[in-house]
Amino acid sequence: MSPAPPLHCSFSAPIQTLKPSLTLALIPFSKKDKFRFRCELTSFGNPQKWAVEFDSTTIPNHRPVLMASTAALTSSPRNAKKVCLFYCAETKALAERIAAESDAIELRSITWRTFEDGFPNLFISNAQGIRGQHVAFLASFSSPGVIFEQLSVIYALPKLFISSFTLVLPFFPTGTSERMEEEGDIATAFTLARILSNIPISRGGPTSLVTFDIHALQERFYFGDNILPCFDSGIPLLKARLQQLPDSDNISIAFPDDGAWKRFHKQLQHFPMIVCAKVREGNQRIVRIKEGDPKGRHVVIVDDLVQSGGTLIECQKVLASHGAAKISAYVTHGIFPNRSWQRFGEDKGGCPANGLTYFWITDSCPLTVKEVKNKPPFEVLSLASSIAATLQI
Amino acid sequence: MDEGVLRVMEKPNEKQILLFYCMESEDLARKVAEQSPLIQLQSINWRSFDDGFPNLFINNAQYIRGQHVAFLASFSSPAVIFEQLSVIFALPRLFVASFTLVLPFFPTGSFERMEEEGDVATAFTMARILSNIPISRGGPTSLVIYDIHALQERFYFSDHVLPLFETGIPLLKQRLHQLPDADNVVVAFPDDGAWKRFHKQLDHFPMVVCAKVREGDKRIVRLKEGNPAGSHVVIVDDLVQSGGTLIECQKVLAAHGASKVSAYVTHSVFPKRSWERFIHKNDGSEKAFTYFWTTDSCPLTVKAIGNRAPFEILSLAGSIADALQI
Repeated sequence: MSPAPPLHCSFSAPIQTLKPSLTLALIPFSKKDKFRFRCELTSFGNPQKWAVEFDSTTIPNHRPVLMASTAALTSSPRNAKKVCLFYCAETKALAERIAAESDAIELRSITWRTFEDGFPNLFISNAQGIRGQHVAFLASFSSPGVIFEQLSVIYALPKLFISSFTLVLPFFPTGTSERMEEEGDIATAFTLARILSNIPISRGGPTSLVTFDIHALQERFYFGDNILPCFDSGIPLLKARLQQLPDSDNISIAFPDDGAWKRFHKQLQHFPMIVCAKVREGNQRIVRIKEGDPKGRHVVIVDDLVQSGGTLIECQKVLASHGAAKISAYVTHGIFPNRSWQRFGEDKGGCPANGLTYFWITDSCPLTVKEVKNKPPFEVLSLASSIAATLQI
Repeated sequence: MDEGVLRVMEKPNEKQILLFYCMESEDLARKVAEQSPLIQLQSINWRSFDDGFPNLFINNAQYIRGQHVAFLASFSSPAVIFEQLSVIFALPRLFVASFTLVLPFFPTGSFERMEEEGDVATAFTMARILSNIPISRGGPTSLVIYDIHALQERFYFSDHVLPLFETGIPLLKQRLHQLPDADNVVVAFPDDGAWKRFHKQLDHFPMVVCAKVREGDKRIVRLKEGNPAGSHVVIVDDLVQSGGTLIECQKVLAAHGASKVSAYVTHSVFPKRSWERFIHKNDGSEKAFTYFWTTDSCPLTVKAIGNRAPFEILSLAGSIADALQI
C-alpha cells in the first residue's frame, strides 16, 4: 500500500438522516502511524454534502476497524449484507425495485389470506430458511384496516432466529393532523409509535425502523428504546432530479410555511429560497410570501406531504402572481385522499397560475403512485435505491 | 378520620365507574349502565381525517381524573382496531384511578393453529398489543374477556395486564331453568374442546359428546358418548362461525332420537350473515333448532339478527356490570 498523505476527516451528515447509524471504514495502514488513515467513504445518495473529517487525536491506540455501509454496493460487494426482504401486497412494486438495486437483496414471500371472519390467515414461506439471515419488511399503513395484518408479520419475523430485523415504513401516517391542543385530544401518532416500539427484539438487537421525512421532528421521541428509528429523507432524490433540468440554474425553492422551511432548508441551502406563510386577514387565512422573490424563476414548492392539496394550490397562486415563470412541486408523500391529485393540472407553457410544470412525489404511498403514474405533471421518484442502501446499515 | 382510612372503608361493589365505549358497542354500554347507578356513560368523538386515520377526542378528559374508568371494546374486524386502540392507550394516562378494558369477544383465537414454522399467530399479536396498554395509577389494566377460545391463550398476556376470564354459561343456565321442560334438558358438546371448556360448569345436566370422525375422505360427526333420545338437547360451544358444525351435530342428535335440539354459543361471529341458515321460515318446513341462544358480545351480528326466531339474545350487561366492581 502506498502511504497516503494524512487526511483531516470530520463527519457531518445532512440533517436527520442516518446520523446514528452511518459508520466509516477506517483502514489503518501502519501500526505505528495512528494519525494516518485511509478513509474509504462511499457516498450515500447525493454526495454533495458529505465532507469527511476525522479528529485523529481522539483515536485510541487500538484502531477500530468498522465496516462501511454505503450506497456503493457494486463497488465493494464483499461488504454487502445479504438481506431477505418481505413485503405486503401494496408494496410489491417498490420491493421489486429495491431488490433490483442489489444482488444482496432477495425477495421473500408471505401468503396473505383472510379467514371468513375477516381476520388474517398468514403464512411465512420457508420460515426456517431465514434463520441467521438479515431480514427486512417493507410496510405500508395506507389505512387503519391494513395495519393489523402487517403488524402480525412484523411481530412474528424477529422471533424466527434471524440475525437482524429492519422495518421499512417509508411513510409514517397519523403524524400529520395531530395537534395535542387540549386534554382529550388523542395522539394517534403516539399510538402507532407505541405499537412499533413493541416489536420484539431479535438476535440482532432492537429493530431498525426506516422512515422518510417524518412529519413532525419531535415524533422521533415517541419511540421507545427497543427500536432504532432511522430518519431518512427523499430530498436527495429531488436534488438529483433538479440537476437534470435544462433550467437547473434558474431554480428557487419555496416553502409553504415555516414548518417546511425548518424541515428542509439545510438540505437545500444552495438554492435561493422563498418562504410563504398563512396570515390572518379578518376571518380568512391567506397565503402570503414572507421572504424571497420568485420573479422570473422556476419555483419548486417543497413539503413533506400533500393531503387535499389546498396549501400547495394557494402557494402556487401567490407565487404566480408575484411573477414566477414556472412552478413545480415536490412532496415526499403523496397522500391525496379522495383522489385530490386530480386538482393538479399540467402547465404546458406560460401559465403557472393554472398548472404545474412538474409534480414530483416518491413511491412512499403506493396506492397513489398507481393512480398518478404517467399522468403529467406527476413524476414518481423512487425510494428504491435509497432504501437498498439503508438496508446495508 | 383521614382520607386513607375512608378509602379503605369504601364498601366493595360501590366503585363509581366511568364507562367509555366504541360505536359498535353503544347498545351494550347503555345496558351495562342501566344495571347500576354507579356506572356512568362517557363519550368520545369518533371522527376520521380525510386520509382515513382516526381523529379522536375524549370529552371531559379532566373530569375523569381520580376516577375508575372502563372501555367497552369490540374488535369485529381488523379495520376498527386501531381507532379503539388509540383510545385504550390514551385513557390510562389521564390520571385515572384504574383502567379496565372490557373486550367481550377476543377475536383471532379461533382459527389459530401453529402447525408449522411460518404460521403467524395473530392471537398472539393481539395479546401482545393489549399487553402493552400503559399502566395507570391503579396498576395494570384489567382485561375482561368472555369464553376465550383456547384456554392456553391466557398465557399469551404479559404481566402488565390482568386478564379476567369470564363466561356466559351462567346466563344459559338461568335461561334453561326457565324452560317448561327444564328437567328434560341434556347438554351436548360438538367436540372434546367444547367439553373441556364447559363440562365443569354444566355437570348437573346429563351430557352427550360428539366427535368428528374420518371416514375415507370425509369427516363426519358422530356421537361419542351419551344418549339424546327423548330429550331436549342443547348444543353448547364458545362460538359459531359458518354454523356448519352445529348443523351437523343437530342432524346426528335428531337421528339418535332427540325430541328437540337447541344451541347456545357465547359469541355469534357468523361471518357473511351465515346466521340466515338458522332462521325459522314460515313455510311449514321443519324447525331444526328450537332455540338458538347467544350473547351480545358480537354487536354487529346481534343487530343484524334482531329478534328473529330461533335466536334469543342473552345480554352480558349484568355480568359486565358485576365484573367492573372487581
